Amino acid sequence: MESNTENTEEYKKGSLHPLTLIMNEAVSILKDLGFVVEAGPELENEWYNFDALNVPKDHPARDMQDTFFIKSTSLEDGEQEKKVLRTHTSNTQIRFMENLVKEGGNPPFAIVVPGKVFRNESTDATHEMQFHQIEGLVVGEDISVAHMKGILLEFFKRFFNGEEVDIRLRPSFFPFVEPGFEVDLRRGEKWIELLGAGMVHPNVLKNCGIDGDKYQGFAFGMGLDRLMMMKLRIPDARLSYQGDLRLNQF
Amino acid sequence: MLISYNWLKRYIKEIPNEEDLANLITFKLCELESVEKLPSGDTVFDLKILPDRAHDLLSHRGVAYEIAGMLGLKISEISNSSEISEIQNQGKTDLQIDIQSPLCRRYIGRIVRGVEVGPSPKWMVDLLESVGQRSINNIVDITNFILFDTGQPIHIFDLDKLENEKIIIRDAKEGERVELLPEKVGDIVKERSFDLKENNLVIADEKDVLALAGVKGGKKAEVGINTKNIIIEVASFDPISIRKTAGMFKIHTDAVKRYENEITPSVCDAVMEETSYLVKEFCPNSKFEESVDIYKIKQEERRVRFETSYICKVLGAEIKDEEIEKILKNYNYNFSHQSDWWEVVVPDKRLDITGGHDMAEEIGRVYGYDRIAPKIPELNFNHKDNEVWTKICLAKEKLISDGYKEVMTYVFTDKGDIEVMASAGGKNFLRTNIIDGLKKSYELNRLNAPLLGIDEIKIFEIGTVFTKDREEIHVAYYDKKNQKEIELEEFISEIIPSNSSEIPKIGEKTYLFNHSVFKLWSSYPFMARDIAVWVPEETDKNILRDLYKEFGGDLLINEPKLFDSFTKNGKTSYAYHLVFQSYNKTLTDDEVNKIMENINKKLSDLNFEIR
Repeated sequence: MESNTENTEEYKKGSLHPLTLIMNEAVSILKDLGFVVEAGPELENEWYNFDALNVPKDHPARDMQDTFFIKSTSLEDGEQEKKVLRTHTSNTQIRFMENLVKEGGNPPFAIVVPGKVFRNESTDATHEMQFHQIEGLVVGEDISVAHMKGILLEFFKRFFNGEEVDIRLRPSFFPFVEPGFEVDLRRGEKWIELLGAGMVHPNVLKNCGIDGDKYQGFAFGMGLDRLMMMKLRIPDARLSYQGDLRLNQF
Repeated sequence: MLISYNWLKRYIKEIPNEEDLANLITFKLCELESVEKLPSGDTVFDLKILPDRAHDLLSHRGVAYEIAGMLGLKISEISNSSEISEIQNQGKTDLQIDIQSPLCRRYIGRIVRGVEVGPSPKWMVDLLESVGQRSINNIVDITNFILFDTGQPIHIFDLDKLENEKIIIRDAKEGERVELLPEKVGDIVKERSFDLKENNLVIADEKDVLALAGVKGGKKAEVGINTKNIIIEVASFDPISIRKTAGMFKIHTDAVKRYENEITPSVCDAVMEETSYLVKEFCPNSKFEESVDIYKIKQEERRVRFETSYICKVLGAEIKDEEIEKILKNYNYNFSHQSDWWEVVVPDKRLDITGGHDMAEEIGRVYGYDRIAPKIPELNFNHKDNEVWTKICLAKEKLISDGYKEVMTYVFTDKGDIEVMASAGGKNFLRTNIIDGLKKSYELNRLNAPLLGIDEIKIFEIGTVFTKDREEIHVAYYDKKNQKEIELEEFISEIIPSNSSEIPKIGEKTYLFNHSVFKLWSSYPFMARDIAVWVPEETDKNILRDLYKEFGGDLLINEPKLFDSFTKNGKTSYAYHLVFQSYNKTLTDDEVNKIMENINKKLSDLNFEIR
């Protein structure tokens, strides 16, 4: 048999969860390409998770994601505040840009946001109620679809180091981008649908106080659990959150 | 949305073959869930229409126009315009339409007398069947056909079942009751009646509710086999109101799907003409009264301006004026072009187009995203990583150097301060601490310690917890001696000397050591055995290890683990820990004992003494 380890000393050492290793690797590739890491809250209000991202109230687009709504708590002034568990890391885009503008800053910038997100759906080998995403946002005066393709292709080349990879775009829709894309990745012969991306919708920039006529950029988001499963050939997303050390093989 | 190839062919004579069409849709329009060849010879495409195109593409005609636009093909219109105008010139009407709510944007009603309810012609039965609709009778089929053809829902009432020739569109009265058309689930017919609320928009006669506007027709004015005289309704309603009413009663009809996504009211008159034409074709002896068209909230004409240079800047590709012009012409856009500027009149049905960014998409996808060459931008900005991230990396670094292993556990628990409204997983609260989950993780891993080949379980998790008024990032670690959970900040202040103001920069750990392919564990229980043997002092202990591996075979799940050794009187005792587990079944004592017997026998053969 192939042994798990030749040296039991190895197992006495501390180790990181494979998701952390994948997250760190993805982050460090993007940092190398010029991105800066941002972080944001997991319990979020509807403005940051939906409205500011151009997802209007009472609009079918809000049904695109199965959201965990929090039982509303009455605030001191009697107002009801509606909160959600963030359905994507994109809330952090808004918080970052709002903050930048508040502090008198402006684009250009390039941020990467790794983090935990939540979807209220039944679980199976590829779906979890909690999972991790990594999101990129680049805004400048002339940041284009071509740049988005360049960054994503370079990212995958480095992430699957040595493998022959390619990407392709298909039209898609997310309220916070236009044009929006589904990005497929090819490893070897096979194309697989891997992430959503697009050019930041001018309304999103406007909602953060950034001039959408002057600045433009792209955003993308992908599941880290999925990347982990692909790269390390872990067969089931649910294995990640069982607290089981047998997962720490790397 | 199911789209029939034969149905599309009615509009596009030069339609590409099924395979080319599937590729065109996938790379220039939207995802295709499936393509199915039917026994009838038709092919059905299941299009995942993008939400922003639900205004105009939830219909065969919409998809046909889109395909024709992408390829620059001609559209052939079906209806016979001379017959339509003939219909329009028929008799005066006493029909009254009274719109009492601003939620109704437009309502066209038309009385038709002397219809003959009967079977539909074969062509219509076939097309409806292709998209999964069963033929009922010619009049009901027309309503379905028009919906899947134009994307505009319509309704037909039996005129003789109304109090008089008056249709009222109003808010429901609190507690008012409506009996809807029964729902057929397989062979079971479910009667449905509802108590209405004031915010439900209804279609009524002088006495009763006839329909939940845009959602579902009622029983009172249902078209049946004996129906002679009808009212055709083609109307436009507020999308949010429809969505709320449908949600309230959990009725998700094909009509709701279209109304809730908003449809332009400007198509209603054309749809009334189409409908009239079909009724006339199926019931040639019927008499048409003139339509009554109350158009309350008109759609404004919208224009969008953009520059060629803007399109090029967004896409990052050189796109020539001629290319843009060709795309606009193929789509039949009404446009003007001056120097770098384009001004297009947005077609009423394209409610998704609001600015230049939408035109960048329109042009980009038809131009072809594959033609945009990737470029890596120079990104070199003077920003710093978020401190929380840096601190988390630092904390993890510290813990693993202290021999702790990272785990992740669930945020959802049975009790806590913050409750979610509903959870697919059944656990409705968010954790207020990590340590409870970590304790369970510790127990699990402690039982598995022999499998893991470790004596001491030391685990940690860094993550978010949720208390009544805030979320906090905690660091929790757990082993036999220490079970501790503290805030990240506090943890960091303990490991960084208080006199240093700067958080040390550390890179993200990315090493993937050991093997880089995951090995899934067995879900069957394991069995452990210890074996201690005296061997002459000079014996290489690896002889023992190799022997155990040879006899243990595939069932020996880990490398034999030496846990004790000492030398006395020229002999050394080596104690090994062996763990057996099968990927296929639960091992029995007998099976493991047999392996151990073989090992013992071999050891005796070698004159090693078992302790």
